Amino acid sequence: MKKINKILIANRGEIAIRVMKTARKMGIKTVAVYSTADRNALHVKFADEAVCIGEALSSQSYLRGDKIIEVAKQLNVDAIHPGYGFLSENASFAELAEKNGIIFIGPKTKAIEMMGSKLAAKEAVMKYNIPMVPGVDHAIVDVDEAKNTAKAIGFPILIKASAGGGGKGMRIVEKEEDFVSQMERAISEATSAFGDGSVFIEKYVTKPRHIEIQIMADSHGNVLYIFERECSIQRRHQKVVEEAPSSILTPEKRKEMGEAAVRVAKACDYLGAGTVEFLMDDQHNFYFLEMNTRLQVEHPVSEMISGLDLVELQIKIASGEKLEIKQEDLQIKGHAMELRVYAEDPLNDFLPNVGKLTKYKLPKGENIRVDNGIEEGMDVPIYYDSMLSKLVTYGRTRDEAIAGMIKAIDEYHVEGVATTLPFGKFVMQHEAFRSGDFDTGFVKKYYNPEQLKEQQNKEAEIAALVALKQYLEEKRILRVPTN
Amino acid sequence: MEDKIKILEDKVALAKLGGGEKRIAKQHEKKKLTARERVEYLLDEGSFEEIGMLVTHRTTDFGMEKETYYGDGVITGYGTINGRLVYIFAQDFTVFGGALSETHAEKICKVMDMAVKVGAPMIGLNDSGGARIQEGVRSLGGYADIFYRNVQASGVIPQISAIMGPCAGGAVYSPAMTDFTMMVENNSYMFVTGPNVVKTVTNEEVTSEELGGATTHSTKSGVAHITSPNGVECLEDLKKLLSYVPQNNKETTPKLPYKVSDEYRDELMNIVPENANKPYDMHDVIKGIIDEDSFFEIHKNYAENIIVGFARLAGRSIGLVANNPMYLAGCLDVKSSIKAARFTRFCDCFNIPLLVLEDVPGFLPGTDQEWNGIIVHGAKLLYALSEATVPKVTVITRKAYGGAYDVMNSKHIGADMNFAWPTAEIAVMGAKGASEIIFKKEISEAENPEAKLLEKEKEYADLFANPYTAAQRGFIDEVILPNETRRKLIKAFAMLENKEVSTPKRKHGNIPL
Amino acid sequence: MKDKYKISVNNLNVFEFSESDLSLLDIVSVGENEFHVLSDKKPFKAEIVSFDFLQKKYQVKINNNSYWVSISGRLENLINEMGISAGSTKQINSIKAPMPGLIIEVSVQAGQEVKENDQLLILEAMKMENSILSPRDGIIKSISVAKSQAVDKGQLLIEFE
Repeated sequence: MKKINKILIANRGEIAIRVMKTARKMGIKTVAVYSTADRNALHVKFADEAVCIGEALSSQSYLRGDKIIEVAKQLNVDAIHPGYGFLSENASFAELAEKNGIIFIGPKTKAIEMMGSKLAAKEAVMKYNIPMVPGVDHAIVDVDEAKNTAKAIGFPILIKASAGGGGKGMRIVEKEEDFVSQMERAISEATSAFGDGSVFIEKYVTKPRHIEIQIMADSHGNVLYIFERECSIQRRHQKVVEEAPSSILTPEKRKEMGEAAVRVAKACDYLGAGTVEFLMDDQHNFYFLEMNTRLQVEHPVSEMISGLDLVELQIKIASGEKLEIKQEDLQIKGHAMELRVYAEDPLNDFLPNVGKLTKYKLPKGENIRVDNGIEEGMDVPIYYDSMLSKLVTYGRTRDEAIAGMIKAIDEYHVEGVATTLPFGKFVMQHEAFRSGDFDTGFVKKYYNPEQLKEQQNKEAEIAALVALKQYLEEKRILRVPTN
Repeated sequence: MEDKIKILEDKVALAKLGGGEKRIAKQHEKKKLTARERVEYLLDEGSFEEIGMLVTHRTTDFGMEKETYYGDGVITGYGTINGRLVYIFAQDFTVFGGALSETHAEKICKVMDMAVKVGAPMIGLNDSGGARIQEGVRSLGGYADIFYRNVQASGVIPQISAIMGPCAGGAVYSPAMTDFTMMVENNSYMFVTGPNVVKTVTNEEVTSEELGGATTHSTKSGVAHITSPNGVECLEDLKKLLSYVPQNNKETTPKLPYKVSDEYRDELMNIVPENANKPYDMHDVIKGIIDEDSFFEIHKNYAENIIVGFARLAGRSIGLVANNPMYLAGCLDVKSSIKAARFTRFCDCFNIPLLVLEDVPGFLPGTDQEWNGIIVHGAKLLYALSEATVPKVTVITRKAYGGAYDVMNSKHIGADMNFAWPTAEIAVMGAKGASEIIFKKEISEAENPEAKLLEKEKEYADLFANPYTAAQRGFIDEVILPNETRRKLIKAFAMLENKEVSTPKRKHGNIPL
Repeated sequence: MKDKYKISVNNLNVFEFSESDLSLLDIVSVGENEFHVLSDKKPFKAEIVSFDFLQKKYQVKINNNSYWVSISGRLENLINEMGISAGSTKQINSIKAPMPGLIIEVSVQAGQEVKENDQLLILEAMKMENSILSPRDGIIKSISVAKSQAVDKGQLLIEFE
């Protein structure tokens, strides 16, 4: 047992602030690290201490584990919270921290390594009776061999990066002809995003739903599952809308998946917060995808329906405490929706856009939570992820959560960059989403920027008429020479 | 009442059609706007008040009474440009080809008189075939009435002519006497006698464009001060030009709001090359001194060895005269002297402070110059600068030799502040020429005359090819660093804002013409 | 004369309205420069944020979305038709970077003929790979950047003949 008095958050943006908020609540001091591009960032202003660790590029700052450990040692930090992305699933960083007597708030190195490679993960959990997607067990090195394997598995197949997630290095191949070029693209993206170009292929499950289970494990052998999250609304394989609980799981299925997730956690001797991702087909069969050995972006929805503070649990577990809660005590209350607010233009193929946030006002309300990382007047930085915030709403029922989300989107004022807010509204208003009858193909199937454009066109027309009216009225006013 | 109103409305509608729909269409085909359209575009929306819309001509010779048009071929009146009052006439090519008649001229004279009485700029959009032959001497009289008024108004209110179509014969003298003449490429021409007559008299074959088009007058003759690619840009340039000048000779120049900051311009440190014989573009120096994007050049393609134009310094308008070492080494010659002299006098008329940037090795030698009277024309610039009583500031960037030193706004002729850069060379003659004269005996007696000459040249250059001898005598007020030029100038002009000089009473001087 | 006005909004939408079309606008004033509009029975909040009468440019906010409106009257339209407007007659034949980032691939070379939507280069920004496609058929005149070069927003990338 080691009491944690000071935590260094090796991250930036909204997650850094979110972690700091819980630390503050627990009376723990916080240290922020920042790059030269983030000098004015909110997380720097929020922390008790802040240290600059390098130039703007992540590789020179937020990914510099050595520098971060140095700072942690200098400031007598007890524990490091890695957030998500950056070094959160970097086994050598976790090891370096341990070696320097600093607690890494997360699983042990071994678990990170095991689950870090999707292939190794699959191998590890195979013995634990976890259903899996047909695919290849090893990384592809020979493209021709891969092509043959793909043919054997049967198209459509999915190419995935072994070393990371977030949609990078991921490509669906429908036809044999596209295989080679897609393969090359995937390897290139994976190499630049994770430094590891290993990819593997598996069958692409049709109409799949992406359902993941939140687990929490302490150092005393207790592992809980804190229900599921449905993350099927994705574009370019990156999640945009998540909800908890899923609209289609029965209590039995939930128990089945939850217990499978717990087994996965036990398989790698897990510690802390983690997420086990499954794919569910239209027959409600589920298949293990991978395990994310970190706190995930969409954790707020689980917090809203369970009433738990996951970061608080992480910190307690990291300091050696025992989980007091029992699985039987956990209950789902209400429904939560999350929209990731990215600085991307839904009318322009979600291309990230930069600019100054000339206006940025968050919606407020009892059932609204915004995990926010940026302020009005700031420039959206180009060096990092384009996520501005997470907009989370809660309701006693799913419909209430959806209605709350629509209202919150209307009240979220952003000017200066295009965001995914109008897209979020589109999803919330769409029949398929509202009825629960959707899968990861939702965006491709239903999203058509034309609809958003139509609303914009209508508003533009009104703006034109209002301006014309003003102009014609002003024309009648007599103007006298000023000079 | 209603039918009486209808009568008025019909007349107005007819007047607005000018020479008729067909002729209007023809103007558009030639990519020309009609006179009314030009006025509408130029003036602030809804500000135009037309005067004399229903005037018609009174001629009865040659059956002319059968063909009358309301307005008689010219639109006259007043309005505002960016809120400031202006008077305007725009000749309507659709009516008798814009030809001038007695009544046409009367309309123009009426607004000119008003402009002088009230004290606001007079703008003329010329687009006319010339005199209305059927009117005979009456149209000549009409022209003369206009010319007389141009002169009475000269130096009282700014007068700007835009040649937006033909302007031939006697008609050209009005623009010639106004302050600035603007032309439109491909669509306008000016000459006293047209190609047809030229052919019969001198046997020269030449097109209208060659004889008197925009390019000819902006490069060869210097008659046009500004040329624009099309009619619309011409009007935009006109608006821009007006933004620098006051409404009349009693007012000070308009001032735009400006927030001063540190005003150092480090780029100025690298413009003058190490080698004194290497040229540089004075435009770069100008850019580093004035407010961003505020330079409006006059006579851009004529006598390029001197640059003249308007600019702003911390929001206040100034007139700029600057030698350009890129052309003819920056020497003064006949054309450049005349160009700069007229501009200087315009600025002096209208209280526009003058900034002179000097880098002049002297006057251009040669029989061409001497036989064309460089003596008298060079004197024009000297006269104009000496005569000017507006605030005058000079900055010598490099060379200032001989008589040209005196001419380019030296302290002795009334400049208020004289600055020099460390690279300045102020002397009576270049080091080589001077050494040859002063050390003539020594050089001829030396063992190696060439080496001796070089030695003496260096001696002379070290002693005199710098600003310090002049500074010692107070001919230069301060030797400044290039990057602080803008700071010094803003302060100097602010200090000189209320300058007042009284001159001895006389009708007017006798500038060598 | 029923004047027709060409109104451009945000440089994206262009409408043509005349004074009579205003009667179709169901609008009431609710404050200084603030209005309430009913269109197809749906309500819209309208606010005039800024205006420049001489330039005929207005900034209007509809339901918290800003629109920049530029009005052209009969004369401007005539001038544009005649092709003699001030300055903006130059055809843009260049591709500029839509955002700052890193060039990770240049897919064409100078002299090459390309068709609309052909990939010209790949720009990596915000951890995403963005394909820059050709906006038109044409021949590449010159390429101003190279692989692994970092570019600023608006930087010239490729020029067409």
